[in-house]
Amino acid sequence: MATTTATITLASSDILSNALSLSATKTLYKAGTTTGLDGIQYEKLEVPTGDVYDMIDATALGANKANKVYICNKATDPTYYIDVYIAALNIGRLYAGDWMFIPLEAAAATQDVGLDAIGGAQVVEFALFHEGKTLVAS
Amino acid sequence: MATTTATITLSSADIADNNISISNTATLTTAGTTTGITETTGLARKKVASSSLADLITVANTDVTAARSAKVFIHNTSTATDKYGLIGIGDSSGTPIYLGRLYGGDFMFFPWDANSGEDITLTMSDATETIIEYMVFFE
Repeated sequence: MATTTATITLASSDILSNALSLSATKTLYKAGTTTGLDGIQYEKLEVPTGDVYDMIDATALGANKANKVYICNKATDPTYYIDVYIAALNIGRLYAGDWMFIPLEAAAATQDVGLDAIGGAQVVEFALFHEGKTLVAS
Repeated sequence: MATTTATITLSSADIADNNISISNTATLTTAGTTTGITETTGLARKKVASSSLADLITVANTDVTAARSAKVFIHNTSTATDKYGLIGIGDSSGTPIYLGRLYGGDFMFFPWDANSGEDITLTMSDATETIIEYMVFFE
């Protein structure tokens, strides 16, 4: 098994009347276990405009697990954003510099992770930490 | 305006032949600008002792403007790595789109479109009492 840790820190000195400093750390485990996730897919790519493009395909071996997805929009123009889709649902916008980190249920083959670049083509980095994925035969 | 940052670090010495170390900091801004987000729900804690599908965060109960740059943090504070909360987006009286499972100690941070009917739902794997923390940053 592998040991992979995820740490988040949310901080602000002025969004509240007192400072906000919130932090959490977790080792990424396979579903229902204390065995570390041992698969990774880490990529950087440019998302063109004009359509929703699948970035991560939901596969049978990845369904209903504890897989995790990290996505970062590397654009620098603050007016640009990426609409992030799970299946046909637009869950939200990643503006330039934004990142997200979510577990991925991928319960059905239709529940791919899709990206739609708005404003212009944008470079994203993403990482999928997983415990298996179904490969497509050539 | 306020300055709020969200930092993620993902690291492993053994998931591949070489170390993986991913780190990024985002400053939370209003949609299409460099102006900092100024509104938040603050950190909320909800005690859940049911395995029924229910709303965790309801669009109508927040002041979140839809289709902007809202961000959501959710944390399963349990230490039970064999139990989880399944997070979805949609109507709890229907069939939400499920994002994924937060096992004990897991967290997530994601943008939220928050259109009408796109509540954030929670379904626990069993009725064991569990505390879920969440926080929304919005405009």
